[in-house]
Amino acid sequence: MRIVIDRPRCEGHGLCEEIAPDLMHLDDEGELILDVEELSEGSPELADAGAAVRVCPVAALTLA
Amino acid sequence: MFQYAQYELDLCEWSHFTGCMTSTPASSAIDLFADEILTDPYPTYSELRDLGAVVHLPANDVYALTRYDAIRDALADPGTFSSRTIGFNPMVNEALQGTSLASDPPIHAELRATLTENLSPRALRGIRDRIQTKADALVADLVARGSFEAIDALARVFPLAVVADLIGFTGEVRDNMLRWGQAAMEVIGPMNQRTAENFPIAGELYGWCTGVRAEDLAPGSVGRRIFDAADRGAIPPGTAGHIIHQYLGAGVDTTIAALGNIVALFSAFPDQFDLVRRDSALVPAAFNEILRFWAPVHAWGRLVTRDVIIDGSLVPAGSQVAILFGAGNRDPRHYENPDAFLVERNPVDHLSFGYGPHGCAGQGLARLEAHAVIGALAVHAQRLVAADPVRLPSNITRSINTLEILKVVPA
Repeated sequence: MRIVIDRPRCEGHGLCEEIAPDLMHLDDEGELILDVEELSEGSPELADAGAAVRVCPVAALTLA
Repeated sequence: MFQYAQYELDLCEWSHFTGCMTSTPASSAIDLFADEILTDPYPTYSELRDLGAVVHLPANDVYALTRYDAIRDALADPGTFSSRTIGFNPMVNEALQGTSLASDPPIHAELRATLTENLSPRALRGIRDRIQTKADALVADLVARGSFEAIDALARVFPLAVVADLIGFTGEVRDNMLRWGQAAMEVIGPMNQRTAENFPIAGELYGWCTGVRAEDLAPGSVGRRIFDAADRGAIPPGTAGHIIHQYLGAGVDTTIAALGNIVALFSAFPDQFDLVRRDSALVPAAFNEILRFWAPVHAWGRLVTRDVIIDGSLVPAGSQVAILFGAGNRDPRHYENPDAFLVERNPVDHLSFGYGPHGCAGQGLARLEAHAVIGALAVHAQRLVAADPVRLPSNITRSINTLEILKVVPA
């Protein structure tokens, strides 16, 4: 599985970072950086990635 | 949740002997914009939710979305649920054409980017400290007074000061902004008396936004930056006023509602306020719960572009939908014990900012303001004793009109 950002849609609300700090963070400019993009099936981090996708208020994140 | 109707109808042709899988939505005789429902919508939300995820309301000629999943799915699907008619009367929908609020993909993405360039959390980082300092000074002063009326003295004063500072206006405009902001929301309702009375006032706001020039706004303000963007050609000529109009029309009345609700709910649930006072890390969670518990926006429209099946019921193409955020926020299918106010619940996925491509463009600013106010209350007050909140009916924004804080116990 892969975390995908819709870059133009991301506004930097940062709710994903709060829920999945090991996978992504906002940089000094407020741009979202994915620290982990690829997740293997059964990875324990998949749940966090799914939660980050779910809390994005503008639906800018997907798991593909 | 949605299957396209054509598929379902194909199935129907084959199911004459077993009965069709799709049904007509349940119906209710209520008027969504009746005074008593606007002031206390929660019993009605519960009845409608029990009837179905979608309920036809002939009195308003709308299909109401009542359950969490149906609402969130609709907000995520602008192709089926168009923003062409977010309002409930043709005049307001016509007036909003060409704005980000009333547009659909693909043009929406461009308009939205222009609107949020100066409003996203990254753009607002520079004013965060100023907002916190302002909230702290205001709340410290109110607590020191011992008693105060929380709507005028806090819920209205604070966002008006923030938005005036942000856009860079002063004087007469500032004095008018409260009634202008209220009217801009009121006219989104159906063509009832409230809407008719407010159109001329909403027109004053529109008129000011159309005529405002860069030099009318304070140097360094976001308002000035929007005009700079127009000069650079970064936004189409003549659109700066429209962007400012959206900031003011959408951002004033809803924020006032949310801030009033903070004070009212902390007064009504002192044990929950104590939890926030003891642990400042709960501030964002408490704001999420306040927004979930009392949604500032009652109903918001969408236009159904094609026949769609919602939870087994057919809603025909061309129908007007009313999204009931507050009903979805209390859906027991999604939130356990939904009628309890629990600051530790942290419902990050509440529906009060909407969701998806049209999710509230000002939510970053709303969070800054609300977190600052909650943080300041938690630092300066120990207990707030309030009289019953007084509410007046209004079509779209559900807010408290008067909230007397009879006594504050300082921290």
